[in-house]
Formats: sequence, C-alpha cells, structure tokens
Amino acid sequence: MAYAYYPGCTAHGLSKDIDIATKKVFETLGLRLDEVKDWNCCGGGFYDEYDEVGHVALNLRNLSIVEKMGYQKMVTPCSVCLQSHRLATHKYKENKDLKKEVDDRIKGTSVSYSGSAQAEHIVWVLVRDVGLQKIRERIKRQLTGLKVGAYYGCQMLRPEEIMGFEPAFNPHSMEDLIRVTGATPVSFKAAKSCCGFPLMGSNPKVGLRLAYGVLKSAKEEQADIIIHPCSLCHLQLDNLQLRIKAEFNVNWVVPAIYVTQLLGLAFGFSPEELGISKLAQEVLASRGIV
Amino acid sequence: MSLKNEEAEVVIKVKRYTQEKGFYWQEYKLKVDRFTQFTEALRRIKSEQDPTLAYRASCHMAVCGSCGMKINGEPKLACKTLVLDVIKKYGSNVITIEPMDYFKPVKDLVVDLDDFYNRMHKVKPRLYPSNEVLEGKAEHRLKPEDQKVLWKFAQCIWCGLCVSACPAVQEDPEFLGPAAHAKGFRFLADPRDTITEERLKILIDSAWRCTYCYMCYNVCPRDIEPVTAIKKTRAFSRLAKDKTEVIKTGEKHTEAVHSSIFDSGKIMGSRVYLSTYGLLGSMKEMIFLMQSGKLKYALVKEKAVENIQEVRKLLRG
Repeated sequence: MAYAYYPGCTAHGLSKDIDIATKKVFETLGLRLDEVKDWNCCGGGFYDEYDEVGHVALNLRNLSIVEKMGYQKMVTPCSVCLQSHRLATHKYKENKDLKKEVDDRIKGTSVSYSGSAQAEHIVWVLVRDVGLQKIRERIKRQLTGLKVGAYYGCQMLRPEEIMGFEPAFNPHSMEDLIRVTGATPVSFKAAKSCCGFPLMGSNPKVGLRLAYGVLKSAKEEQADIIIHPCSLCHLQLDNLQLRIKAEFNVNWVVPAIYVTQLLGLAFGFSPEELGISKLAQEVLASRGIV
Repeated sequence: MSLKNEEAEVVIKVKRYTQEKGFYWQEYKLKVDRFTQFTEALRRIKSEQDPTLAYRASCHMAVCGSCGMKINGEPKLACKTLVLDVIKKYGSNVITIEPMDYFKPVKDLVVDLDDFYNRMHKVKPRLYPSNEVLEGKAEHRLKPEDQKVLWKFAQCIWCGLCVSACPAVQEDPEFLGPAAHAKGFRFLADPRDTITEERLKILIDSAWRCTYCYMCYNVCPRDIEPVTAIKKTRAFSRLAKDKTEVIKTGEKHTEAVHSSIFDSGKIMGSRVYLSTYGLLGSMKEMIFLMQSGKLKYALVKEKAVENIQEVRKLLRG
C-alpha cells in the first residue's frame, strides 16, 4: 500500500524528528510514503487571514499534484496542514464566489483539482486503513507501565464536520494507538484544548499559558509523557518544554512526543533513531522503557 | 422501524448548583421519542419529577439563544439537540447535562451572562450611519455583494456557547471573545458604518489574541464561524493606529510567513523566528532547543519549491 505523503514545512524543519519517526513506522508496517512532488506550504494556519484566495490556491496546488501522481489520499503528520487542506477544499466546493476567484488565480498554471484527492491525517490512516491488529503484530517492545497522556489538540478534530474522522468532543484514536503499544492511556481535561502555538506569533505570553495548562492538566492525571498529532504542537509542547518550566517556575516536565515516536519505540527503534528529545529519553529511562 | 416508533429510556445526569450546596449531580429517568429535544426533556423533568430544577429556554427553535448548556460535554443549544441523536452518537442511554463553562453559575443550568453581554456591548453592536442618512438627505443602500460578506456574521443569537468554550477567553482578559468579534466584524466591514477608526481601536488588538483553535467554529449553533470573522478582521490590521505590542508582533509574524512562502514556497521556521522575534528573542529559543537536544533541527535546510514562479502566481501581489 502506498500513500502520497505531505510532510509540511515544520516536519521538514524544526520538527524534523516527526518526519523521521513517521517514515520508520510506515516502513515497518510495509507502507510506502510517496512524497508529494515539489509540494508547497499550506499556509501554516495563518495565510488565509492574509489572502484567502491564495490560501485555497496554494492547497489546491498540492492536491492537484497528488491527483497527477495517481493518489486519492494525501497523508500528513501535521494537524494544521491537514486542516488547511481540508478547509481549502471545503471552501472551494461550498463558496461559489471564492471558487470563481480561485479559478481565476490558478488560470495559466498547472493547477487543476478535480476534487478526488483529499488530505488525511497519519493517525486516521493508521487507525482506520492499517488497523490496530496489524500494528499490534509489529510490536517488539511492550511499553508496559508507561502512562501516556493522549493529547489531540485542535485541528485534527475541529471543525468536526470538515475533519469528519471522529467526534470532536469524544475522540479515541490516540488512546487506541497508546493501548496497542502496551502503555496505559491517560485521559486529561485539556486533551482537546489548544497548545497555544498560533499565539506565539502575536501574544506569546498567553500562548505559553495555554501550553502550560495542557501540560499541567496531564501532570495532574499522573501522565509520564504525552503524545500529540501535530508538527506545530510539537514546537510548542516539546521544543518549548524547558521554557515553560522556567516561565512557570515548576520542578516537573511532561515531555511531549509525536504519536509515531511512541509507535516507533514499541516497534523496537531506539529513542535516538526516532529523534526523541533528551527530556523524554530521561523519563522513558526512569520508567525502564529504554 | 419507522421514525415515529423510535423510543428510548434515557438517564439524564444533571450537574446541579446552588450557592449553599455548590455543584452536585442528580439523575432523572424518562422516556423519549424521535422528536424529543433536550428542552422538552428538561421541561418534562421539571413539571413531572422535580420542580426545583432550574434551566433557561424560550423559543425552542434555535433563535433566542437561551438554552446553551453542555450535553455530554459538548456546548450545545438544548432545543436544537435531539435526545435520540445523542444516544446514537455516543452509544449510551446515559447522558450528562452541565451548565456552560466559564460563566458564573447562578442555579443549576442557569449561568450569569453579564460577562457575555459586556463583551458584546464593547464592540458597539449597531450601525453608526452618516449624518446625511440620519437627517434623511441620503439613502444608505447596501450592495448585495457587500451584504454577502456581512450576512453570516450578523446571525449571532447571543447564546454564549462560543465564549464558554474559548480557551483564549479563559486565559486573556484582553480578548473580546469569538461572538463579539463576529458582531464587530459585521459592522467593521459594513460600508454604511462611519466609525471605522473607533472599531479598529476596539477590535484589532483583540483579534491578534485569538488562538485559532476552531472551538467557536465547532460549537456555534448558527454556523457563524467567529474565527473566520477574526481572520478577516486581522486583514484590517494595517489600518489601525497606535499599534500595541501584540499587533506589531502579529503583523511582523504574518509578514514573515508571507515573505517566506513568496520567496521559497515554504515556511522556513528559523527565518520566521528571526523576523518575528529578532536576533535576541530567537537566541533565547535556541538555548532551550539546545538544552533539549533539538538544536540540530533548527539548522535543517529545507529545499525551496522548484516551480516557485507558479507558487508566486497563486499568491496575491
């Protein structure tokens, strides 16, 4: 089985470890990730405020390439890229005026979107297409005793009618994947709250408060680590973990790793091979996992 | 089985509140059919089982905005939600009902909406027409294409669900909240309105305080998309005078995102950091990255889009 693969800018930049872990996990499962040829940025969740027509056109260019590559599913590890593409296609189909402007904009370019290709999240493909049983068969290292907070964030879930994979207020895909590894899923109050990343570009003080709220909520439920499904949550909750610790003057961390990093550990890869942060490695070692 | 014959026995757990007792849960059992709204279920509980239960409801048709509450944790209008639909969605006959989050509880499912109304009034939710129009010397016509832009955002029924669910509201007293922004944009973008400068002063700083979590988009019973109104409001940012630090940082960041995409077709993270926070701010981030062993990824050089001319053609200007 092969999928068109859209890493997104962040998974090819500051969250490169997500790309590394995702490729290893898919390879282990016997699935090919065929990177979208000459892909461009989806707009990072911000571009539609600057130029709504351009935002849709940018996303259609990627999906148009995916169609030419002969795929219908474009999988991405980033919730923001996922939402950006799905919102763009939704608007293109629903808003006639906008569609007309987008069609004018793409005139004379190679972009031609028939509507057959759609963005999908890595998590959806793993849970629905690959199936938990097939993942279970590849487990080499049971993560028994590790308490893992299932963090969903925002864009993989919302808006529910456009994302459409699971109910926004009652999701379970992340818990399902945690269970497969032998770890114990931990539900916590802020699992579907915002990590604050989009505020880091305008109001970082509150952005950090939101991130702290997520980690504190997971800590209150005794999570050792949390897993998340988004390259930008990764920047916020993994890369900024120590900044949050300093800012709020706490003596604890709840390292955040990407969902395929957790699966990669269960498949027998070392934390180093998966690009897992030092902080998470310390916690994993303290729990006897590595 | 026909819809008419669909029935179920349901257990409704209500999170109740009194000043004396605080919060406590109480269970009620009743039979519902295909057409039973939650407002009807609550009416039956109150009239047949427990007259002390307090809740708000008025129109029963999703127009008045009185019956906002949490049903199985979801912020919903009770009148627009059918009991059987919730049973089907969650696969359980046990359903929880709670008052909206964030607002102060008054009694049971009734919350104090003063905070919400204050937010709404802050954005001056009415049209300020020109003197000529007020004096009857001119007509103020609205073109259909302008009305199209405003229509969606004018549909707010002031139910408060979006504010109750908004994480930025809870963390940031300077943020007006989603509903006020939808209403504010409806007048900001109205060509008949005459107090644009004042509106910019009220709305722009707050617009940069939204975290784009799409909670308001998800919970709005009128499909208003307040977050879209906020995005459209940010497009007016350049017209604002006396810019706050939040506005300046936000504009810098958006500009950095745009120029990175325009130049390379991609967001080059390190470059956007530098443009937004400057050298000193970026250096601080780098130290934290180094401590967690992730600095190497800051140095990853992503290749630009080969067909960059095509990408530029897709962008405005």
